[in-house]
Amino acid sequence: MSTTVTANAATAPTTATGSALAASSKFKAFATTFSITGPVIYCLTVYLNWPVFTYFPATGRFFWGVQAAQSGTGPNMLWYGWTVTTILISAGLGIIAMMLPERVTRKIPLFLVWLFPILSIPFVVYSLMFWWRLAMKE
Amino acid sequence: MTSPISTSAVFWTLWLFVHLILALGLLGALTHQAVAVALPARKAAGGIVSRFRAVSAPTYATAVCVLWVLTFLVGSFIYTSYRINIRIPLEQGHYFKTGGFFDFKEHVATLGLVLLPAYWFFWKNAQNPEYDNARKGVTLVLAVMCWFLFIVGHVLNNTRGFGA
Repeated sequence: MSTTVTANAATAPTTATGSALAASSKFKAFATTFSITGPVIYCLTVYLNWPVFTYFPATGRFFWGVQAAQSGTGPNMLWYGWTVTTILISAGLGIIAMMLPERVTRKIPLFLVWLFPILSIPFVVYSLMFWWRLAMKE
Repeated sequence: MTSPISTSAVFWTLWLFVHLILALGLLGALTHQAVAVALPARKAAGGIVSRFRAVSAPTYATAVCVLWVLTFLVGSFIYTSYRINIRIPLEQGHYFKTGGFFDFKEHVATLGLVLLPAYWFFWKNAQNPEYDNARKGVTLVLAVMCWFLFIVGHVLNNTRGFGA
């Protein structure tokens, strides 16, 4: 039986894959800051109801900010606006992080990239309470 | 003669099919990658399970990002029709859990979207052990999200598809 151990496919040196972006410390600061702050900003955006715009699918019309559904407009959609708000704010924070010295950005704890989305889930479930309440009444 | 309603249903069903194909590609790539980081193959690949674990995971990173964004965009487009033609009948039929899970899905899709820059960076630096834990964590989170999104979308389509 062979005892040869092959290189771990998941962590084998693959490259520098040619990408200057992947080797850039500034891009690292942007990407990690964007991804760490993204879930937090999204939860805050939903909680505070800060969509950049509201979309009315029945009429195909957009309005800046929050716009409640009114008679004749059909339902409103806020999710697109929440998503754009999140991307804009997180990108802004990522750009600020790019301007910081590397000795500062090196200290960003990378485990927050996967921890924050997990921690966001309870809030997301809570934010949908009106659905669960209606379901409980059935 | 084809009625406008059935033409519209065909249009949205075709887009839903595109969404499904993109989602299947994404699901496959992310599942391969997640298994490769969670249960890395230590011997030369033999059986189907070992080969499944032994994929060159870093090569999937860009494809996963592109597929997530495309699936997200197509899903966002379909969502406009869902809000009128699916959600309202779901509410009228008192399918509140189904409606709630779809809203849960939209939130998870955005949470996944914002992880992509870091995910891509970690995989493009797969040779750097400094990122091993973060890469493993974010890949597993994205894979679980993707399976959740896929299953909810599938169940929702079974509950009420376009043209139902």
